[in-house]
Order: sequence, then structure tokens, then C-alpha cells
Amino acid sequence: MKALSRRAVLKGAGATVALPFLEAMVPARRASAAVDTAKKTRLVCVEMVHGSAGSSAIGIKKNLWAPAAVGRDFDLAPTSLRSLTPFRDILTIVSNTDVDPANPFTAKEIGGDHFRSSCTFFTQAHPKQTQGGDVSCGISLDQLYAQRFGQDTAIPSMQLCIENVDAAGGCGNGYNCVYTDAISWAAPNRPLPMIRDPRVVFDNLFSVLKAGGTQAERAERLAEDRSILDWLLSSVARLQKTLGPADRSRLADYLEHVREIERRIQIVEARNRSGELRELPSAPAGVPDSFSEHVKLMFDLQVLAFASDVTRVFAFKLGRDASNRSYPESGFKGTFHETSHHSGREDKILNFARLNTFHVGMVPYFLEKLQQTPDGDGSLLDNTLLIYGSPMGDSNLHNHKRVPFFMAGRAGGAIKGGVHLRAPNETPLANVMLSVLQALGLHDLERFGDSEAAYNVEHGQHDGSDRNQAEVLL
Amino acid sequence: MTKQLTTMIAVLALAGSVSAQTKKADGLTGTWNMGLQGGHVIPVALVLTQEGETLTGVVSMPTQKIGQTVDVPLKGTLASGAFSLSGTVEGAKDPTTIEITGKLNDEGMLEGRVVMSGTSGPHGDMPYTAERLKERK
Repeated sequence: MKALSRRAVLKGAGATVALPFLEAMVPARRASAAVDTAKKTRLVCVEMVHGSAGSSAIGIKKNLWAPAAVGRDFDLAPTSLRSLTPFRDILTIVSNTDVDPANPFTAKEIGGDHFRSSCTFFTQAHPKQTQGGDVSCGISLDQLYAQRFGQDTAIPSMQLCIENVDAAGGCGNGYNCVYTDAISWAAPNRPLPMIRDPRVVFDNLFSVLKAGGTQAERAERLAEDRSILDWLLSSVARLQKTLGPADRSRLADYLEHVREIERRIQIVEARNRSGELRELPSAPAGVPDSFSEHVKLMFDLQVLAFASDVTRVFAFKLGRDASNRSYPESGFKGTFHETSHHSGREDKILNFARLNTFHVGMVPYFLEKLQQTPDGDGSLLDNTLLIYGSPMGDSNLHNHKRVPFFMAGRAGGAIKGGVHLRAPNETPLANVMLSVLQALGLHDLERFGDSEAAYNVEHGQHDGSDRNQAEVLL
Repeated sequence: MTKQLTTMIAVLALAGSVSAQTKKADGLTGTWNMGLQGGHVIPVALVLTQEGETLTGVVSMPTQKIGQTVDVPLKGTLASGAFSLSGTVEGAKDPTTIEITGKLNDEGMLEGRVVMSGTSGPHGDMPYTAERLKERK
């Protein structure tokens, strides 16, 4: 019997839904090869702004971000990463690295850290100071990966965000707002727009192929609160007849997951259109006012996208520099910007650590969902790498030293995990990112951003650099 | 091994001393990244030119709107290792005078105070430290 194509989709009048990985997609004589095909590494690049409490002098002593011990016997309990304890075996924490490209290079750039930092994080490149259209930064890590390995999916990569990023023109200190808002750059002059509304993400994932779907049909769907699955009933029925019991069950679970996420988006939209007072009155109707609800929806959409292989690469921006948003769900009600400027006082640093802990605490939800989702002969978590960090270190000083950074996942075996590495002083974070890109398959990449040499993310040594010697002497 | 370490420490100490003297010999001319300690640390650009004991320069002071600065021309003098600079914010409703005093410390950093005052009274008095900016293209 002929195998089902990995690119097979369910088509309805207004929606096209890609399928999850099914056994029917495996040709009997090439089972292992097909399973290997399913094991394409998924990449999620998460940026949080304003550094961490653990990057301050007091925070370093108290291990508010990086654990005290290096190697494999690290203790996450005092750190903002403690919620990741169930996943410690797949964690790679690299501490004590710098993002020098976020520093000012000229007098006019001094003071512009908030407006320049975000674009530097995944590019490790210094942006050109301009408010006009002649923006220039670097190519971001996610895009280097997507350009090499994301071209055989319907969407090569997607860019998501949580806060408002639709400001146009200049943001401050002579910087165009795209430097503040875009973390994903396809080329030095091509920042990619970020999507904040889960509804837009959902429609992109399942209507992007638009098999006969029109704007009017989608509007009708919204007005009637219908599901895209309603349009797929006959298509699903036809496919079910050709599948074995295990695949039928897997397809049913997947479609139920699609429907559950769609239902959550509809509930948010209904609530936000009800006329009730909103905490985020200017946000689109599909954006939940709750930070955690929004982040979880976005993570669920990423799991769906990975399961259906619509895309394998996400960039995800959790915050916006200088935001005065508060996070009451963290148990602390202070505003973000003010709390991050802690004046070096221990009580305020500990408050900022609570916010850091809350933000990192969103990640285990995603990792659990990936773990629960089959992919080939394992789970999506086996074949995913999540990178999380910030281009700022001590936000009270607006510096870019000792920035927070960790990775979760083994990327299909490319990264070992279960380790805390403390880099020698003044190590560029770009050295780590270069090593990650090489591990992900870009073996011919010799430089990334301001990298000097690849920093091995398994045992913490530089390849062909005298920094290793410095580490020993210190 | 012990001898090697002792020699290395001596060389590093000498290198540090030479480095500090070199930084002092540069005088105050250059671009300085000031950290104004006003609650949190606010980065401010200070560009100075030293000719003998005469100083001229510009400080880019932050305004109340985040991300906007105003350039304030400065004039001043250097005497016995201490300097003082002053300038006036042009175009302000309440003309504000800025006075920056300080000295170059042994680490090659500036340290001192910035005092702002207007006709209506004092506007602020903040300590600062400033490090020389490694200007890059």
C-alpha cells in the first residue's frame, strides 16, 4: 500500500490543516528512513528583556540566575530557573557571557541600550543608529537555521511576541523601533514582523494554504463562532477510512487539540468583545489580558505547528524594553521597568528575581507539551532545542555583561545537556551561539556576530582559542 | 610552578600600574560613558576636550521623555587633579544650569557629582562614575 505523504493535508472550503506524523506516512521498507525524516530538529528562540536579578553583584553572590556549581551537580533551587528542575537533564546553562554588540560604540549611542538591545540578541550584531528605513543589524540565529533547514515546510519560520510592537518610526535615542521590536532578522536590512495575536497565528498555521478560503468565509466563521474543523468533516472522514486504529486515534487527538486551542482563542475574543473593562484596552481581541494565558496559547500553537510540521522554527519575544507592564500572577505587583532598575538594593533585586522566576516558569509548560506529543519514534521534546536569554545583564546598570542564558532540549542528540558551564570573563555569547549553530548542522559556519571561537556547549572549552588558558589561570 | 605564578602576578601588577598611568596621561579628552546614579544608573554621554587646564565639552542629558536627550555645551577648568564644568540648558522655560565636578581616579575613571539647578531652585544632585568609551565604527 502506498504511504501517505508527509505533506498530505485536510482540505475544507476555508481552511487547510496539515497532518501530524502518522504511521501511514512510513513506507514499510523504509521505516527507519522515514522516522529519521520526522526527526527534523525544531528550534525555538525566546528573548526576554532587561537581563536578570542574577546578573547584579548581589544576584551573582546569591545565585539568583546561575547555579553555584559548574558541571553536572548544579542546584537550581536558589535560582530563577528552579521551575526547570524536572528538565535538568536536558538543560544547558551557560553563564558569564557578554553581549558586547549591545554596547554603545559612539557618543551618540550612549543611553540607547533599551532601544538597541533586542535586535542584538539573536544576531549578536551591532545595529546602525538610524530612525529611517536604512536599518541594519545582522542575520539572526533562527534565520540562519531556517534558511538552511526550514525551506521544505509550508512556513520556513514564524515570529511571535507578547507585547505591543506596532510602533512606527523612531523609538528613542535615534533608533528605529524595529531595533526594539524585532528579534528575528532574515538579512541585515530585513527585520521580520512579529505576531502578537494568537488568532493570527492560528489562521496562519491552518489557513495559510487557503484552499478556496476567502476573507468573507473567514469573517463568516468568526461571526458564527464556527470551527475550522466544521469545514473539514468530509475530508477527515475520507482519511479516517484509510488509517489503522493507532493512526485514527492519533489523528483524533490532534484534531481535538486543534479544536481546543481554537476554542480558547474564541473564548478570549468573546470576553474581549463583551465590553468588559480590559487590562490591555488597545490589544487585539485575540490577545488575552493575562500574561500566562497569552504565553501558554502561543506555546500551544508552537506545539501544533511542530506536530503538523507546518514550520520548524519560532522566534518568541516575551517582553518589550522599558515596558511598565506588571505581572500580578507572579505574586509581585510592581511594574517591570521600575523593578528592573533596582538601585542595587537587595530587597528590590529579590523582587526582580521573582519576576525573572515567573517568566522562566512559563517554559516548563511548553516542555511538558512537547514531551507529550509523539514525533517519529520519540517525542517532540527529543527533537527540539529551546534557547532562552536576554541581551542585557544588570538592568540597573544597563550593561550587557553576564547575561542570562540557557537552553532546554537535546536537539535530536546534537546537544548533550544536563550541565552548567561558566565561561571565562568577557566571553562573547556569540561564541556559544556559533557552537549551537554548528551543532544544529551549520558545520561550515566559522563566525557568528562578534564570535571569536566556538564555545563547546558540552564541556565548556573554546575551540582553538587562548581563552581556555585564561580560564585555567583565573 | 610557584616561581612562575609569582612572576606572573608581578608582571600583571606592573601591567596594571602602567595601564593606569597611561590612562591618566591621556588627560580628560575623549568620550565618557557616565553613569548618573539617580535611583538607577542612567547612562549619559560626556564628550570632553582638554587643552592645558582648560576644558570644553558637551553632555547629553536625558529629558523627562524616555529616549530623548538634550545636548548641553560645557566649559570648565582642571586644577590640582580636580575639574569642574558648567553649562546651561538652552531653550528651557526655567533655564537650568548643570555643574559637573570630579576627578580622574587611579583606575582611569571619572568620579564626582552632577548638580542641576534652575531659577526655581535645585533640580537634582547625583553622584556619577564615568568610564572612557572605546569608540568603534
